[in-house]
Amino acid sequence: MRKQLNTVGLALFAVLAFLAVLPLFHIIIDVYTKGISAIVELGGLSFLFDIPPTPYDNKGGVGPLLVGTLYMTFLGAVLGVLLGFPLGVYIGEFRKEFFANFSRGGVNILVEFPTITVGLFVYALFSISLVDINPMLEGISNALASVAGGWVKHFIGGLSQFNAYAGALALAIIMIPYVALFTASAYASIEQNTREAAYAIAGREYRAVFIVLRKAVSRAVLAAVLLGTAKIAGETAPLLFTAFGNVYYAPFTEATGAIPLWIWYAAQTPYEVQIASAYGAAAVLLTIVLAIFFAARLRQ
Amino acid sequence: MFGLVLLFSVVVYLLSIFLLMAIKFKWGMRLAGSISLVVISGMMIVFLYEAWPALEQYGFGLLTTAGWDPPREEYGLLPAIIGTLITSAVAIAIAVPLAISIAVTINEMLPRSLRTIFASLVDLIAAMPTVIFGLWGLFVLGPALADFINTAVGEYVAAPLSLLTASILLAIMITPYAAAVIREGYALVPKVVEEAIYSVGATKLEAVFIKLKYVKNYIFGGLFLALGRAMGETVAVAMVIGGNYSRLPQSLLESGITLSSLIALQFPNAAAYAYMIPVLFTAALMVAVLGLVINGVAIYILYKTQI
Repeated sequence: MRKQLNTVGLALFAVLAFLAVLPLFHIIIDVYTKGISAIVELGGLSFLFDIPPTPYDNKGGVGPLLVGTLYMTFLGAVLGVLLGFPLGVYIGEFRKEFFANFSRGGVNILVEFPTITVGLFVYALFSISLVDINPMLEGISNALASVAGGWVKHFIGGLSQFNAYAGALALAIIMIPYVALFTASAYASIEQNTREAAYAIAGREYRAVFIVLRKAVSRAVLAAVLLGTAKIAGETAPLLFTAFGNVYYAPFTEATGAIPLWIWYAAQTPYEVQIASAYGAAAVLLTIVLAIFFAARLRQ
Repeated sequence: MFGLVLLFSVVVYLLSIFLLMAIKFKWGMRLAGSISLVVISGMMIVFLYEAWPALEQYGFGLLTTAGWDPPREEYGLLPAIIGTLITSAVAIAIAVPLAISIAVTINEMLPRSLRTIFASLVDLIAAMPTVIFGLWGLFVLGPALADFINTAVGEYVAAPLSLLTASILLAIMITPYAAAVIREGYALVPKVVEEAIYSVGATKLEAVFIKLKYVKNYIFGGLFLALGRAMGETVAVAMVIGGNYSRLPQSLLESGITLSSLIALQFPNAAAYAYMIPVLFTAALMVAVLGLVINGVAIYILYKTQI
């Protein structure tokens, strides 16, 4: 009796686990089957460069959205690493300090924080401060444009309420705790011998921590950076109120499109062609995320 | 003026982190370590500031009434609060057994070589864009679920977009998170304990239950982490919940709204009304406080276990 119960119980666990994983496979397969046929239908390779279709078009693409996603993800990742790495080092290397407990608690909360609040936070910061900052930025932009040419104005200038930099800032805030947590666990796993050797040869403390010890954990930290980048490349909620979305190639100082934002918008329209383009965009986005993810896995 | 002060303080803060690192290394690191706390407290202050007009105008009644009539400036967040609680409760009820099953299956049944593949699959789901879950929920899960219920009941009772669709989609999304935490704890059961369990003649199933009891703190911790995710999830939920702003939901098969999806769906037309933006910031404040409390509890449970 106990033997049979054992078999039945274990089989039940396995079936439930299988059921839990099944939808995830189905999502990936569904996105790729519908997405690839949509891409072929909407223009093949030019799907990557064209602007999104209006309801009356039968061709279109994700060009401006791809540019916006890559630009904001890159800026967000750079800023996220610049701030997240020292934060992670502090939590990992100085974990015995009293204050490090608070810091670690804060990071742990922030990593699970609803991402929509980050978007609203950045929106509020920008709506409060743009009036004062814009004259300054316009001055800088004009000065640079007179030296380097007009193209500078696509990147620097008076910002509107929704712009690529707000989006990048929101993505960076989401990236910081990811990088910090992975960095912290990597630094915490350094053996005491290595640590003492590093302090002995490095001279200044910051050289020991940031240069010598970093070499010991560089693989783990790089993997953390890539995983965080994969995460922010697919974020939608924080971009809703910061980048807002755009379907044209526009200066980054204006509302900027992103692939997740287009999926969110186009999926809710009643037009077949836009829904198809949402699936195509989803396939592109999933490819980007999967590529970064597997790059991170191979590094480990 | 306020903007310049803000910009100035941010610049000073960031510069002083890197300057202090060169002069007084430890203090520079401490300043860097406070980034997370600065962001969280900054968020709370900003939300409170932005929500203040609505709190002043409507008082506590904003949270206890139902209604959404922007032209008359009448708002109530009760349907959203109830929707958030219902969807996340149902999602957790579905997700916990599934997450435990995943953890048990990985650790007890799969060979070691498959374990890492399965584990990185779970990590992959954590990195999957939520909007893709929403897309799948909107075009695959919702219609399939409605068809299933309607044929099972024999009459037309369910629509594709409902609280139930949102709950099941949430359950699918949060199961891997909870599973990862539980699996981590499960793998930490000491070898001695495992040997003791088998030495008294337990079958594998009985051993599994004893071990699960042994790691119950991890199960609770994972449960709370998943709950935090479920309550804060925005885009995927907003795509499948249907957007019923004003009426209290009577059953799971009706369309509804949650706090975060309310913000996402109503924000584009909020600027046209006097009090809608503050009301939405009130919702954001609630989401943030909920996130803080639930994740705080989760982290407290997991910390306590580790030490």
